[in-house]
Amino acid sequence: MSVTVLGHGALAEFLRSEVQCDTPSTVIVVGVDGAVVVDSLLDLTDEMIDAMYEQPMQQVIVNLQEAHARGSHRIVVVVPTTGMSGGVGLVAQSALAESARVLVKSAARQWGQAGITVNAVAVEPHWFDIDPEVSGPVSIAPRSLVGQVSPVGVVSWLCSQTAGDITGQTIVCDGGLWM
Amino acid sequence: MSDLRLKNRVAIVTGAGQGVGEGIARRLAQAGAVVVIAARRAETGEPVVESIRSAGGSAVCIVTDVSVSRSVDECVEQTVQQFGRLDIMVHNAFMGGIPHKLEQAQIDKHWTSMSRTGVWASLFCARAAMPYLISSSARPAGQGGGRLILITSPSGIEGSANIPLYSPAKAAQRAIAKSLAREWGQHGVTVNCIGPVAGSPALLGAFDRNPALQSAIEARTPLGRVGDITRDIGSVALFLSSDDSSFVTGQTIICDGGSFLGL
Repeated sequence: MSVTVLGHGALAEFLRSEVQCDTPSTVIVVGVDGAVVVDSLLDLTDEMIDAMYEQPMQQVIVNLQEAHARGSHRIVVVVPTTGMSGGVGLVAQSALAESARVLVKSAARQWGQAGITVNAVAVEPHWFDIDPEVSGPVSIAPRSLVGQVSPVGVVSWLCSQTAGDITGQTIVCDGGLWM
Repeated sequence: MSDLRLKNRVAIVTGAGQGVGEGIARRLAQAGAVVVIAARRAETGEPVVESIRSAGGSAVCIVTDVSVSRSVDECVEQTVQQFGRLDIMVHNAFMGGIPHKLEQAQIDKHWTSMSRTGVWASLFCARAAMPYLISSSARPAGQGGGRLILITSPSGIEGSANIPLYSPAKAAQRAIAKSLAREWGQHGVTVNCIGPVAGSPALLGAFDRNPALQSAIEARTPLGRVGDITRDIGSVALFLSSDDSSFVTGQTIICDGGSFLGL
C-alpha cells in the first residue's frame, strides 16, 4: 500500500518513493526552509516571519485536517531536530518545527479514541538545508553518519499496523547527531 | 532585609494588567526594578501601577498591543527614553484560545490570535529589546544583565486535548528561546521560558463556575494547590531576571507545583 506524502522538496519526494505501509497513512513533511539564515534578529522582518513561520504552520494545520478527512489511521509529521535544539540564525524555522512537533501531541490526544495515531519523526537538519553546526558543536562519531541516515525505516514502521500503540511521540532519526 | 536584587534595573512586562503578568510585575518591582506595565488597555494597567507605587515600588503603564510590531517598538522606545535603559523584557501577554476539534478548526477563528500574541509577539519583543538587552549585559558586573523571558505553558510541551492549537503557539516560544539563547549568548544576554500554572483571573473564574475543576487540578498536583501569581510565579521570574541566573539560558522552568513532570 502506498502512503500519501504531503509536502514539497527532496525529502518529500524521497519518502513518496520509498515509504511503504500496510494501513491508510499520511506523512506530512513540514515546510521548514533552512536556506534563509538571518544573522541578526534585527534583520528578521514581519514579512519573513509570515513566510518562514506563519504560512507553513497554517499549512501543517490544513495538512493534518486533510489527513484526518482522508481516513488515515497513521499520521507522521516530519520535522528537523532544529525545533528541539534551537539554531543560530533560524529562530523562525525552529519555532515552526517545534510548533508542528507539539501539535502532533494535541492531535494524538484528540484522535486517539478514533484509532488514529499521530507521531513525529525528527530528522537530520540537512534534509531541510540546515547546517547542523547552527545547533552547536556536534560530536565526531555521530557526525560521521551525516547524509547516511535514512528516515524511511522509521516512517514506514510508524505507518504500519504494528506501531498502533505508539502515538504522540517523537522519534529522533539522525544517527545520534543531536541527543 | 529588603531584597533589592534588581535595583536600578528597568523591566517591561507585557500583559501585566492582570494575572501572571501582574504577579511578575509586582515581584520585580518589590526587588527594586522600575517596571513598565505594558497592557492593552489603560483600565487594567493603571490600577496595577497605582498598587505597585502604593507599596513603594516604581511603575508606569504604556498601552501596548503586542500583536502589532510598531506598538511594541514604541513601548520599548518610550521606556528607554524615559528611563535610559532596558534590562529585562518579559513577554507574557497572550490571547487564549477556545476549545475546538482540530479537524474542524478554522485558521482565523482558532489560530491567528494565538499565533500573533504568542509567536509573532515573542519575536517582536525580542527584536525591539535586543539592542538594549545587549547594552545592559555590557555594563559592569552587578549593574546590568540583559534578560528575555517568555511565558509559555506546560501545554507547549505535552500538547492539549481541549485546545489543540494552543500548544503549538506555546511550543514555538520554547524554540525561540533556545535559538536566541544560542545567538545572544556571546553578548551575555540570557533567554528563558517559564511554564506556569497559576491562579489567574481566568482560572479562578473557571473555579467559581466549576468547583470540581479546582479539586481535580489540586488532586493531580503534588503540592496540592494552584500557584500564586506573585509569590510563586513572580519569584521564578525574579530569579531569571537577576544575577543569580546569569549561567542559565535556553531553559524552560515549569512552575506548576509538580503537575507536569515530563521534562
